[in-house]
Amino acid sequence: MVKLPLIARLGLASFLSLVFTACRPPAASSSTVPARRPVVCTTSYPLFYFAQRLAGDRATVRFPAPANQDPAFWRPSRDIVRQYQRADLILLNGADFEKWVNTTSLPLAPQVDTAAGFKQDWLMFPEVITHSHGPHGAHSHGAIDFNTWLDPLLALRQADAVADALRRLLPGAGAELEQRRQQLRRDLLALDQELRGLSTRLASQPLLASHPVYGYLAHRYGWNLASVHWEPDEPVTDAQWVAFDALRARHSGTLMLWEEQPLPAVGAGLRARHVLPVVFWTCGNRPVHGDYLQAMEQNLDTLRAALASAAAANPAFRGGPEGTEKTGK
Amino acid sequence: MRQVVFLAWQSLRFHRLQSAILIFGLAVTLYLPLAVNGLVARYQASLLQRAGATPLVAGGLGSRFDLVLHALYFRGHVPRLLKMADVQALRDTGYAEPIPLYVRFTARHAPLVGTTLDYFAFRQLPLARGEPLLQLGDCVLGAEVAATLNLGPGDRLLTDPENVFDLAGSYPVSLRVMGVLAPGHTPDDRAVFVDLKTTWLIEGLAHGHSDVTGTNTDADVVLDRTATNVTANAALVEFTEVTAENLASFHFHGDPGDFPVSAILPIPRDEKSATLLRGRYQVPDATVQILVPRGVVEELLGLVFRIKRFFDANAALVGAATAAFLLLVVLLSLRLRRPELETLFRLGCARGLTTRLVAVELTGLALVSAVVALTAARITWALVSLW
Amino acid sequence: MMIEVEKLVFRYPHSTFTLRVPELSVAEGEKVALAGPSGSGKTTLLHLLAGILLPDEGRIVVGGVQPPRLGDAARRAFRIGQLGLVFQDFQLLEYLDVFENILLPYRIHPALTLTAAVRERARQLARETGIDHRLSHRPGRLSQGEKQRTALCRALLPQPLCLLADEPTGSLDPAAKTRVLEILFEQCTRARATLLMVTHDTGLLGRFDRAIHLAEVSR
Repeated sequence: MVKLPLIARLGLASFLSLVFTACRPPAASSSTVPARRPVVCTTSYPLFYFAQRLAGDRATVRFPAPANQDPAFWRPSRDIVRQYQRADLILLNGADFEKWVNTTSLPLAPQVDTAAGFKQDWLMFPEVITHSHGPHGAHSHGAIDFNTWLDPLLALRQADAVADALRRLLPGAGAELEQRRQQLRRDLLALDQELRGLSTRLASQPLLASHPVYGYLAHRYGWNLASVHWEPDEPVTDAQWVAFDALRARHSGTLMLWEEQPLPAVGAGLRARHVLPVVFWTCGNRPVHGDYLQAMEQNLDTLRAALASAAAANPAFRGGPEGTEKTGK
Repeated sequence: MRQVVFLAWQSLRFHRLQSAILIFGLAVTLYLPLAVNGLVARYQASLLQRAGATPLVAGGLGSRFDLVLHALYFRGHVPRLLKMADVQALRDTGYAEPIPLYVRFTARHAPLVGTTLDYFAFRQLPLARGEPLLQLGDCVLGAEVAATLNLGPGDRLLTDPENVFDLAGSYPVSLRVMGVLAPGHTPDDRAVFVDLKTTWLIEGLAHGHSDVTGTNTDADVVLDRTATNVTANAALVEFTEVTAENLASFHFHGDPGDFPVSAILPIPRDEKSATLLRGRYQVPDATVQILVPRGVVEELLGLVFRIKRFFDANAALVGAATAAFLLLVVLLSLRLRRPELETLFRLGCARGLTTRLVAVELTGLALVSAVVALTAARITWALVSLW
Repeated sequence: MMIEVEKLVFRYPHSTFTLRVPELSVAEGEKVALAGPSGSGKTTLLHLLAGILLPDEGRIVVGGVQPPRLGDAARRAFRIGQLGLVFQDFQLLEYLDVFENILLPYRIHPALTLTAAVRERARQLARETGIDHRLSHRPGRLSQGEKQRTALCRALLPQPLCLLADEPTGSLDPAAKTRVLEILFEQCTRARATLLMVTHDTGLLGRFDRAIHLAEVSR
């Protein structure tokens, strides 16, 4: 055994240590992530419904907004924002529905704006007060009507956007997705036909609405609709009644669409004016019973019953037979 | 051989001053080119690694070097800005997922990088402390920035005014530090990351203020009011800090499609998509250029390191001169040792022993010099990387 | 005979000096002084006997071996294993201590193996020559006499047949000279080694078995 002098040993040790430290260990291989169902988060209930119908059990679909809040004006908590951030797919209604997204950090790649494909068909809320800064400064625009899903044909386009997004997310489920998409398409087209038929009965009868949220329905099916800005859980002031009466002087509707049942006093006031409040739920959030299509069917049934009731109460009420094609959009 | 090594060691140990001088001379001769080349190679590798990790860069027409340096290393300005509509258009091709970047502002002289959460996933930037971005006004700090400014989650960081003399310009915004990234030895360590929308806030495309459309609005801030619009005057105070209480008041003015970005990192689905995407934008009237960063950086390094050849030649000449001097020293040393070597011969040493003896001594010196030079070079590389 | 020389002729290149030794012999165990004026070729003759130089003519036999007839490697092996050389200027390696200088022959040729027994013999020689207290000192710290005793131990350690000493006392003071000479003689007797020593000092001639005057021998 060769016994080297101390300095030679130190030198050799240093040299060898340099050699060994230059040889870095291979990078640890990334652990294999076990396959899991993709998570889809939506910002509105109709999108949640479409995503569930299309994805089936292939994905976990979430709609985190509380049932007692209007998703259009809801602001998610920190934990719910993190849910959205971690989602594999974020389905946005678009058309300025989810305003909280404008001030929230979300990844861009998973986002799908389901209304972006028909931007030219967006409507504006009437009579919105804007603001501007200085005579020539920046200004806000009139608010976009975001209730696109109420129009079955626009809802169908949104559903198609959801299907496209799911097809990219679930590449192995193409055939199944297409089958489900066709089924949903049939259902939405059937809804469209029913609305067309109902709209024939409505003819050009003036309709009233507590909020200007039925614009897409009116636009599609030719409803003669005028809206006020009343809340179902708030009483109507005298000034509001005066304005309402002035409105009825030029727009004598006998049916007034409400998102929810108005206060009894308000209902009484309307009936006193021969106006029948009709609950036509806008489906922005989960229905108490059933799903989006069932809720829309319920809306149609309620409207039909209201029409019948209006015709019985007022023979002068003229309504066409249901089933005739109405010249809508 | 053992005996030769013993004798050589004894000789070197006895002549320690001469040995030290020789080792020093040799080590310095080895160290300088080693350290410089090592630093250059590391810097080059670092640049190329960054470029290689980025499949594509998109930006306005103009200098490709400026665009790549801006998008990858957050340096300089781009020749032309893009718009969010360009980001969407790129996304609509279906070939790539775009990661927009807007690097215009600074915070305490660190580049402020406006982007989306996709950037952190793409660059695989884990957090050392805190949480990711949550909302408008949040920021995440690179490791070096956090260490230099001694900031952490929960602290506030003020953005730098673009022009201290422009009183009518954008005001600094107070950012909330949400997290600190783990060190990655990349330009990300030296940046402050915010949501893209926050950079638009700093630019003035968004702001927050009290509602002026209500009936209880202070008349002092209202310039004009009509049935459909309220015009506010300059007295209306705009929030410079986003809080939970005023977050809902922040809004954007203008078409988001027109909002600026300085660069895009398109992440193609696959090689074919990358090629198709590049082809899509190689048309005469294209307003967006798409580059492969690695090629651009290699070209840039080629230009810069052409100069390095002069330094290499200089180092070679210096090395040759030093080697010649060292050789002269060795030859003179051998002449001085002639009586010793003659003694060994007369005593009857084995053939070639004197040659082996001198060779082992020189090899030992060279080995120690190499170790010293390598050690010094590694220390240099480590120190430089710390800086 | 230990040493036999016949009709030896040697000429240095580029020099007019010629060494001629028609005949010379030294018996085994004999202690012979080799005297002569400066420049007579005494050192040259020692180098020829040791095989350091090769004769132009003649025959040299040392210990039954003719070094000039050996190959270079064999000659070196013969020199280091069978002959002990002591030089006037000691020729110790300054970077080795006394002990290592003594052991030097065993480090510079594979024919000699450095073992524990050899090391012990070296220590013994050092004790016998009175330098055992200087074993860890380097030559720079030794007196002239101590250096020469170290060189003597180095020459004797391989137990040579014949010791060739070239004016080993030339650089020493009288007391050291006497001491070294005594040790030299004593060690040669103990080792039964033949001694051929070059010396200028005529006063020492009487201590040898006989003296060879090179001026008389070489013609």
